[in-house]
Amino acid sequence: MNDAIRMQISAFVDGELPQNEAELLLRRMCQDGDLRQQAAEFLAVGRVMRGERCVAGMKHLRERIAANLDDTSLVQEELVADKAARPRFLRPLAGAAIAATVALAAIIGLQQVSSIPGADTLPRDAAVVETVESDSYTVPDQDDGQLRDYYLRHTATSSYFGANSINARLVTLQLREDVDIDSDAAEPAADVDQESDAESAGSSDAQTP
Amino acid sequence: MIMRSRNLTVTAIVAFAGLLLGAIGASAQELAPRDWLNKMAGAVQTTNYEGTVIRLQNGKVEALKVAHMNSDGVIREKVIVQEGNGLEIIRNGNEVQCILPDKKSVLVEEWNDQSTLFSTLPSSDIRFGSEYDISIVRQGRVAGRKSVLLAIRPHDEFRFGHRIWLDIATGFPLQTTLLGSDGEAIEQVKFADISLDEEMHASALAPSISTENFRWITQPRRTITHAAESRWNASDLPNGFRVVSTHEEELPGRSARVIHILYSDGLANVSVFVEPTSGKKIARRSRVGASNSFSVESGGYQITAVGEVPAATVEKIASSMQPD
Repeated sequence: MNDAIRMQISAFVDGELPQNEAELLLRRMCQDGDLRQQAAEFLAVGRVMRGERCVAGMKHLRERIAANLDDTSLVQEELVADKAARPRFLRPLAGAAIAATVALAAIIGLQQVSSIPGADTLPRDAAVVETVESDSYTVPDQDDGQLRDYYLRHTATSSYFGANSINARLVTLQLREDVDIDSDAAEPAADVDQESDAESAGSSDAQTP
Repeated sequence: MIMRSRNLTVTAIVAFAGLLLGAIGASAQELAPRDWLNKMAGAVQTTNYEGTVIRLQNGKVEALKVAHMNSDGVIREKVIVQEGNGLEIIRNGNEVQCILPDKKSVLVEEWNDQSTLFSTLPSSDIRFGSEYDISIVRQGRVAGRKSVLLAIRPHDEFRFGHRIWLDIATGFPLQTTLLGSDGEAIEQVKFADISLDEEMHASALAPSISTENFRWITQPRRTITHAAESRWNASDLPNGFRVVSTHEEELPGRSARVIHILYSDGLANVSVFVEPTSGKKIARRSRVGASNSFSVESGGYQITAVGEVPAATVEKIASSMQPD
């Protein structure tokens, strides 16, 4: 299998292959077990990356796909099992998970990628600053200035190397808004400027990326 | 006779248009994916533009009005958030004013020369190891312009993927999407409409509201950094990550300097901060925008990794940090 076909399968799994190419690929998959296996592996890797439990029967599914190209019951069954097994903190990923499992369904001929509600929607998270919800996660202190400093310093340093997006900029500004504007210690610009300039000048190796 | 001549003219125009479109299509195919990225890097620095951006993040959709002009090497930009607090960002060279109308305040900060609003990738100095496949997916239209879709797919679960729609004529990024390992869109920025390289009136870059009687606030204190060598190393770095910079930093409110090591795989960056434990616990795991953090204590030190990478990556790096 060459890289081109591997990339095509990867794009297919990502739902990015144009419809006409996807149909051709599906036809090839029906004839070629290696292609089906590659697609199934891409999907399985995605599931492992998300930390989902290994789906029982996944290994045998690939053989069954070849023999039962129109057997959808197994996939439906596994979708139900998958939903029940998903930890609470993975629920925001549901949209993408649906997309992946639907792609699996497409391999066996269902071709429903574009028809699944929510498959293309973004996950819904809460606030700008949040802690990932899970029983094993420490509840964050929303006033955690130390962590906020880290985020700000990381963005500033990454930006120094040219890696900054409008999203990173706006998130940083929202963080700074919390720090600077809502802080009682905020001072008028002129005073702070003089202080920081003096300090910077006094430090021979000072630099602010 | 006149009719025949007109028909010939129409035929010639159609043929020429066909050739032109074919040429554009062919040139889009001829450029290698990395050439497109280089073209994009140049375009974000030199192209003047004005338009409306749709930003999707954390399940929220936000519209922004943006304008950017490079005038003799001085970057001038304006962003107005169309919803919520109506934040305005006015940039003139390195100085950036963030106007918050609801709080009658202006935050003033400094951005470095390289920063532009749409430079989503690191500078070419450190860009790209071998941890990603870059490919041209297809052509299409974004913001009414003929575009080409580039896919940057990571080889493993320790970094995010990118999908970038580039304007074929200029290389300007019209839509960028950050993707999780399972194809989940983490954030997306997309132009709904855009004018590229058209003459721009000075008012397009001026604040839209008066800031008279607003409170002006600069950064409370600039972080002072010192170039340093660190005895801390990650023993289990994901493939392709390497140290890009190491500094000791004097952060506000700290008695001791904080060690800041920046790792990069050429595309994704992860910062590791090491400082003596202070008794105050910070969140073990957290997320801000597309960034994740993981914090762990070891031998009297608090080690925190932060970066625009999956949670598993910051956890792996922070957990493997060890002194020599």
